[in-house]
Amino acid sequence: MMLSFKDVSASIGIIPILRGLDVEIPQSQTVAMIGRNGAGKTTFLRTIMGFTRTTGEIRFDGKRIDTLHPPKRPGLGIGYAPEDRRLFSAFTVEENILLPAQAAGLDQAETQKRLDRAYEILPELREMAGRPGGQVSGGQGKMVALARALMLGRKLVLLDEPFQGLAPALAQRYSEALRALRDSDRSVTLIITESNPALLRGFADRTLVIERGEIAEGAPQTEGESA
Amino acid sequence: MNLTTFLLALFDGVSYAALVFIVALGLTLIFGVMRILNVAHGSLYAIGAYATVSLVGWVLALGAAPILAFPLMIVSAILVGVLIGGPVEYLLLRRIYDKPEVLQLLVTFAVFMILEDVQRLVWGTQPYFEAQALRALGNVTVFGVTYTVYQLILLPLVALTLLVGLRFFLRRTVTGKLITATTEDREAAQSIGIDADRVFLLTFVMGAILAGLGGALASPTTSILPGMGADMIVLSFAVVATAGLGQIEGAAIAALMIGMGRSFAIYIWPEVAVLVPYLIMVLVLLVRPEGLFGSPAARKI
Ligand SMILES: Nc1ncnc2c1ncn2[C@@H]1O[C@H](COP(=O)(O)OP(=O)(O)O)[C@@H](O)[C@H]1O
Ligand SMILES: [Mg+2]
Repeated sequence: MMLSFKDVSASIGIIPILRGLDVEIPQSQTVAMIGRNGAGKTTFLRTIMGFTRTTGEIRFDGKRIDTLHPPKRPGLGIGYAPEDRRLFSAFTVEENILLPAQAAGLDQAETQKRLDRAYEILPELREMAGRPGGQVSGGQGKMVALARALMLGRKLVLLDEPFQGLAPALAQRYSEALRALRDSDRSVTLIITESNPALLRGFADRTLVIERGEIAEGAPQTEGESA
Repeated sequence: MNLTTFLLALFDGVSYAALVFIVALGLTLIFGVMRILNVAHGSLYAIGAYATVSLVGWVLALGAAPILAFPLMIVSAILVGVLIGGPVEYLLLRRIYDKPEVLQLLVTFAVFMILEDVQRLVWGTQPYFEAQALRALGNVTVFGVTYTVYQLILLPLVALTLLVGLRFFLRRTVTGKLITATTEDREAAQSIGIDADRVFLLTFVMGAILAGLGGALASPTTSILPGMGADMIVLSFAVVATAGLGQIEGAAIAALMIGMGRSFAIYIWPEVAVLVPYLIMVLVLLVRPEGLFGSPAARKI
């Protein structure tokens, strides 16, 4: 199993949010996590990254990560693009993308290789590489956040409502980029949250439905369902 | 005011501003990154001065050249930052980042009180004076006014180098970038693998080294005695608040304003001279509560 949750509960401060999750996600699966606003999607992803108080057991690649210091987790091969993109405004687009590789201490050649791959998947970012992180539009910011997540996310990529607020043309581009990502590396595992299931129809291998902090298996989706 | 007194006031102001700026730079770095107002910063300044005087006095008594005082200042500053700043962050502050600001202020104030007593225990209450570094560089005469090279040239040069160097470090080096990113958004930084705990420890030690260096550089220009830390924390806080908390370049300008204000007041209206820094701060904050260069919204350094 790439990622498994055993009786995981998570709280923010003293408020319990996720309750008794048991989920297993095999390698190279693309999982859509659907749930309305406030259902716990963001909390689920933040729990994987280590930003909630957690009980139970989370394993990644066979290793327990729920007890691992949060900044050590991305280095295991986990990339995370938060809901509100959260670029660093002090840095350019490219500097933003490079930061995870620098934090992980990757060498020059490996960093360049990963940057090239991110640009291959999101070629439009090359043109805005020098732009300040605070001066890109919301939609472009989501692309930058995706590229940044790809730098370390060789095994698992977590995307929190990536399509929310994207203009249709950009949303189209974003899903093309996701397809390019899967084509470039069949082994990568993806978890994408959405409140609007239509946006991920035909893309995911599997749907999980989250409701009030509890997760249930959704109806299976097939490529054929896509319009 | 004739040309001579004008120049004297100007030179006093510049050298004084340079010293205050170096200390304020550490204070504003720590505040900008960690959002902690470190009252104990004043003690680190004082201990930097005491440590330098002791170390320089001891080494020069062995017959070393006075010029050796300069590397010893740097050694003292680093010792203060690593041996005192490091444990204070690691053992104490680390536990209270998510606590209310009032509590954080009280804790750093407690550290300040403890360190004040430590100074009295180690160095007693008699004043120290050790000016060989000042004399080693000689004097310079400008338009008939003679001033020490140490105060007129070295101190401003060090201050300027630190300003430019810190800005370069934060924006261009990898470690600096990790600090800057953590300042802007701690969770986003951690989620791309930046260890915010390490960033905070490093930032605090760097800030503490700047406080210690301020004290080390001040030591040849003044008597070292109890209470100097309290004076300096209040003064450098005035600089930091006038500039806007976390404003590095702003602190340089605020330090110049306050340094000049004070030194000209000494020649023009000596009775109010000690009040001038705070008058400047109050005036600025009345008009701009976020400081000259501060913005209420963004977290930046
Ligand atoms: N910082 C927080 N403090 C308290 N409650 C929170 C916090 N963040 C989220 N919650 C609560 O947790 C629940 C799940 O939120 P979230 O995970 O953001 O949902 P989603 O991403 O599905 O919209 C909501 O009821 C929300 O009010
Ligand atoms: Mg959410």
